[in-house]
Amino acid sequence: MTIPADLQYTKEHEWVRIEGDTATLGITDHAQEALGDIVFVELPEIGRQLAPGEAFAVVESVKAVSDVYAPVGGEVIEVNTLLESEPEKVNTDAYGEGWIAKVRMNGETAELLDEATYTTYLEE
Amino acid sequence: MTLARTPLFDEHGSAGGKMVPFAGFEMPVQYPAGALKEYHIVRDGGCGLFDISHMGQVRVQGPDALAFLQYVTSNDVSRLTEGQVQYSALLNNEGGFIDDITTYKLSDDEYYLCINAANRHKDLAHLQRETAPFRVSVCDESDATTLLALQGEQAQSTLQPLVNINLAGIGYYRFATTEIDDHAVMISRTGYTGEDGFELYLPNALAVPLWRALLAAGARPIGLAARDMLRTEMGYALYGHEISDQVTPVEAKLMWITKLDKGDFIGRDAVRARREQGPERCLIALKLTGRGIPREHYRVFAGDAATGEVISGMFSPIAGGIALAYVQPEHAETGEFSVEIRGRRIAAERTRTPFVRSRVKKS
Repeated sequence: MTIPADLQYTKEHEWVRIEGDTATLGITDHAQEALGDIVFVELPEIGRQLAPGEAFAVVESVKAVSDVYAPVGGEVIEVNTLLESEPEKVNTDAYGEGWIAKVRMNGETAELLDEATYTTYLEE
Repeated sequence: MTLARTPLFDEHGSAGGKMVPFAGFEMPVQYPAGALKEYHIVRDGGCGLFDISHMGQVRVQGPDALAFLQYVTSNDVSRLTEGQVQYSALLNNEGGFIDDITTYKLSDDEYYLCINAANRHKDLAHLQRETAPFRVSVCDESDATTLLALQGEQAQSTLQPLVNINLAGIGYYRFATTEIDDHAVMISRTGYTGEDGFELYLPNALAVPLWRALLAAGARPIGLAARDMLRTEMGYALYGHEISDQVTPVEAKLMWITKLDKGDFIGRDAVRARREQGPERCLIALKLTGRGIPREHYRVFAGDAATGEVISGMFSPIAGGIALAYVQPEHAETGEFSVEIRGRRIAAERTRTPFVRSRVKKS
């Protein structure tokens, strides 16, 4: 299981990559592994305003339906439409091609953990 | 309640099986390959191996075995020949399902029933209670029996080298008995996947060696998640879902295993009355035309009317979002169906089961 050092994490197992005022969001390797084979991803609409902690996407595995919560607040500016045809990218490349949405940040964030803290959190 | 373990519990552990509680047992929901890969092994020409030892087995013996089974099961047992298997049901006096079962005819006075794990004690109590006027014994052999399912196009070629009988000679819903390492084994060409394959009843002592031999011969272990995908694609009923004591064969579209003209049996009059009155609900098959996965308990609409709910729903790699749903009878035949998913109604069309073409070898 990988936990890249350049990302931040939530206790609900989302990751966020912050570059300037843009945040790219997805679910962590731990989350995809726990869920199993992802067969469907419901993406948010572009332009939607997200509050930190708000459920903004849904990932469905063979057996489970799980909400994805926004690590940061802001406006959805891009979604990963690749996941509509290849939801398994969330399993195979959670931090890369498995990204879910990009958000123009409004400065508000949920509680974000750095790599070391998230690693410790998973071990607890 | 402590969960029971099958004789293959440790084998599941070594295979990396993720164990979950199921019908009072700890059973593998999936192995490291994952549910989707396991599904594809069975559907796409491979050979899947399932531990289904949680299921129960009952031996019925005695001069009145046939008369007894005619009375307690819904199908016509008199049509069975030796070596034949029949899908059937135990009904209650109201016509509701106590269980769905398979009946194996060993001889004129000996039959063998395979029953659902979750219903085992209920079924046994019911069967014991009904034996009174019959010269028959009902013996629960579940704890001594391991049940394996070997399913997929390669099932026969995988199993053949391990047995001394010609498997090609066993037709669909037929069985044969043989010996493996001096243990008596019953092998039927039956299953719950819509693929060709076998179910093997064996004494527990043979469970681990045969499991290992089948894996060594190329079979791959398959968990409950893939098993449920495979059965749902076929539209096969699962007790507690499509069937329960709340529905009769009229609602569940199982009149084909309910022979009202065979003579008296438990539930017959209630089923006949229900058929005349019409079903309270109807089981239908739906396929989403929009994006989404229908899940159990999602609401089903016909036009703007809430008409029922999804009973079994899934993402089928072949057919997409599919569901078995109970709807009100007036909407069963026609209707602009939709399934409500997270507050949005996703269009669905009425379709037939199986959702995916069955490849069982009906000879």
